[in-house]
Amino acid sequence: MAHPSQLGFQDAASPVMEELLHFHDHALMIVFLISTLVLYIIVTMVVTKLTDKLILDSQEIEIIWTLLPAMILILIALPSLRILYLMDEINDPHLTIKAMGHQWYWSYEYTDYEDLGFDSYMIPTQDLTPGQFRLLEADHRMVIPVESPIRVLISADDVLHSWAVPCLGIKMDAVPGRLNQTAFITSRPGVFYGQCSEICGANHSFMPIVVEAVPLEHFENWSSMMLEDT
Amino acid sequence: MAGEEGAGQEKGFKLLGILDVQRTPCAKDAILHGAGGSVAAGMLFFLSTSRVRRTFDVGFAGFMLTTLGSWFYCRMNNAKLRVQQRVIQEGIRNKELNIYVPIILVPSLICHWAVLHLASLPAGTLKI
Repeated sequence: MAHPSQLGFQDAASPVMEELLHFHDHALMIVFLISTLVLYIIVTMVVTKLTDKLILDSQEIEIIWTLLPAMILILIALPSLRILYLMDEINDPHLTIKAMGHQWYWSYEYTDYEDLGFDSYMIPTQDLTPGQFRLLEADHRMVIPVESPIRVLISADDVLHSWAVPCLGIKMDAVPGRLNQTAFITSRPGVFYGQCSEICGANHSFMPIVVEAVPLEHFENWSSMMLEDT
Repeated sequence: MAGEEGAGQEKGFKLLGILDVQRTPCAKDAILHGAGGSVAAGMLFFLSTSRVRRTFDVGFAGFMLTTLGSWFYCRMNNAKLRVQQRVIQEGIRNKELNIYVPIILVPSLICHWAVLHLASLPAGTLKI
């Protein structure tokens, strides 16, 4: 999860997010080098005494500053497109979960085998126990088995919402009357937090998403327990 | 909670306020190689031509090229290591499944889940 005054990405919990982090580092290095180049050119232009009022053209520099940006753009575009198509791959998911956005909570349905559904409300600040995170904890977590491909179908009941979990590299709009699909695999067990990412009313900031990735046996126990409770 | 996290994390050093050289893999090595390449290229040019202004330009060009070259070389090696790591992890996981045989007789959700999960394994993985 995020830590105070964090500027960068959270640690990745899925292979797609790892790829996004690596691409971000790649793009940032290119941005850094371009910024350094611009800074150097500015400093050179300010301190130079070499001025020539009669220069009309220069074919060499025109070629350089045409080809160089084109090459840089290709260098950025190729990994970017690779990740874009990688994110759209959905390889035989083991589990499909429906996430519905409401004002102002999420509901999850596991309907592959049995009818399991529950609501997930934010735990109010006054009800938090020591060690829990303010505005991030939910009473019921979306529990999934670790290292299994999961498909999430996202929609909304009333207004626009957005289901986002940063460390999994997921953000998908929840649109009323529309079913959006995304898929992911968690690389490690853990609890991953997200927040609604589309303005949806007064309590838009108070409907978090909590995904808990557990080993398969624990997932089986949890699902049996939830079915008994319902 | 915040104190524990703060104690465990170093404060990154950001060049130009954007590039965290401590936390970004390969960044520190690339910048250091770039600095070395810049000094080397500039010195060589100056010793051969004694042109001060152009030396700075050559030095800067040397910095850019060396940084880029070192960066891409390191990133390519890292990418190859990551692929190897995933192959090894997959191999270890399959080797563990050879030992553990999940015989689950509970009906409905768990049984269907087991069948689906086992069906996705490569042929010959399970030895019953």
